Amino acid sequence: MIHAIRLEFYKLRRRFLFGMTVLFVCVELIWALMAANMSFARNPDRVGWEPVIAMLTSLNGLFLPILSAIVVSRICDMEHKGNTWKLLLTCSMKRERLYAAKYICACAIMLSVCAMQGLVIAAFGTVQGITQSVPGFLLARFMLGTMVASMAILALQQWLSMVVKNQAFALCLGMLGGFAGLVGDLFPAAVRKLLVWSYYSGLSPIAQNYTGNELQFYVRNLSDSLPEVGGLMVVAMAIYLAGRFFASRQEV
Amino acid sequence: MLQQCISAEWIKLRRSYLWIVMMSLPLVSVCIGCANFAMNQGVLKNEWYSLWSQVSLFYGEFFFPILIAICSAYLCRLEHANRNWNMIMTAPVSVGSLFIAKVAVISVLLLLVQGFFFILYVAGGMLIGLQADLPPELPGWLFRGWIAAVAIGVLQLALSVRIRSFAAPVGIGLCMTFLGLGMYVMNLGLIFPHSLLTAGMGVLSQEGLGLGSSFLFYVMNLLYIVVISAGVMYRMRSTDVVS
Repeated sequence: MIHAIRLEFYKLRRRFLFGMTVLFVCVELIWALMAANMSFARNPDRVGWEPVIAMLTSLNGLFLPILSAIVVSRICDMEHKGNTWKLLLTCSMKRERLYAAKYICACAIMLSVCAMQGLVIAAFGTVQGITQSVPGFLLARFMLGTMVASMAILALQQWLSMVVKNQAFALCLGMLGGFAGLVGDLFPAAVRKLLVWSYYSGLSPIAQNYTGNELQFYVRNLSDSLPEVGGLMVVAMAIYLAGRFFASRQEV
Repeated sequence: MLQQCISAEWIKLRRSYLWIVMMSLPLVSVCIGCANFAMNQGVLKNEWYSLWSQVSLFYGEFFFPILIAICSAYLCRLEHANRNWNMIMTAPVSVGSLFIAKVAVISVLLLLVQGFFFILYVAGGMLIGLQADLPPELPGWLFRGWIAAVAIGVLQLALSVRIRSFAAPVGIGLCMTFLGLGMYVMNLGLIFPHSLLTAGMGVLSQEGLGLGSSFLFYVMNLLYIVVISAGVMYRMRSTDVVS
């Protein structure tokens, strides 16, 4: 299995996928941090870690579904485009193993994105001179929530990218997912729970609420978030297994 | 020669189901825009103008540029598969015809999308129950949006001809969308294709472009279309294909 995962990374050499991922995340981070910076300049009494984390979680809802679609599409499309499925299957590579290797490869890329975001938040807060110390636990919860939501989305995107050769549909789903992630909080709770893209803000350790005309940030209880994290992980696994089942039985 | 190339491009699009993508993205943005307008009618009192501000926001800022990127990548998808660039470059047609045919086809596709968006906007407004006449600026917004979309389409085609991956040009296009939004906010909207779309369609401001700004808008779009097309054709003539 390790060999199969290593081969997936080997196939991504000189494809500029990592460069593009970093570029994409940098655009998001610049946007989020500029917005946080402007907010701090307007309201100096509100300087803290919570607005930064909340700002980035909102933007993650827009950016990360699209980034997931692009990453997975590139990992799967190279096999479609190069007509390598038959070649891979004649190398006695099981389709299930190949599917798992691709999924783990995509998850590893998204994990590095989460880690990068966590580090940049910590660095930004330190440079801004936020008086409280770096909230390691909050950042860990932020990264966990982002990663679990990404895992479910990656499973869905991989299913589509593997089964449908035309990657336009996978990217269209990514775009619609980004939209759902951005406006997910506006939907009723029952609808929101059905949309995997809305969990970037749903699993965020920081929640926002308007009291009068004032936007308030508060830390969610861990005990409230854990069942949702567990539930979403189960959903991610179910989507992954269903995708693997159908992709493995498809004619090459 | 050009006509044959255009016919070939249409044949390649048959049974591609690209129409699903072309219809779904405007449909979602109009549905959400209309829902938001209907729920906030106490604040949004400017009838069709307010509705336009809601439906065009997500469409013009996010969905339309991505739709253009997806369509452009799709038009080059077949060439990148199965070493088809070798075959197409040995066809007895000029390189210019090959690229201009793609530009012509993407222009028609984007015109259809704009037309569909117009129908959805009017239907949405009528369903909500707007009584006033349609804004007289509407044809201008749609036409200028189409012109800017063609400029973005040419830019995306240039990327898609160069890059084999389907998703990479779409990702680059998305980054350019945010860059365009930033440039529009910094009052540099008339010098970047993606912010030209924002300015031309009246997405963030429905006040309309003045005479000078309108002239600059058309000149910049034309400049982008001509310069990028010339660059791509020069590159296709002078560089060997990589398949």
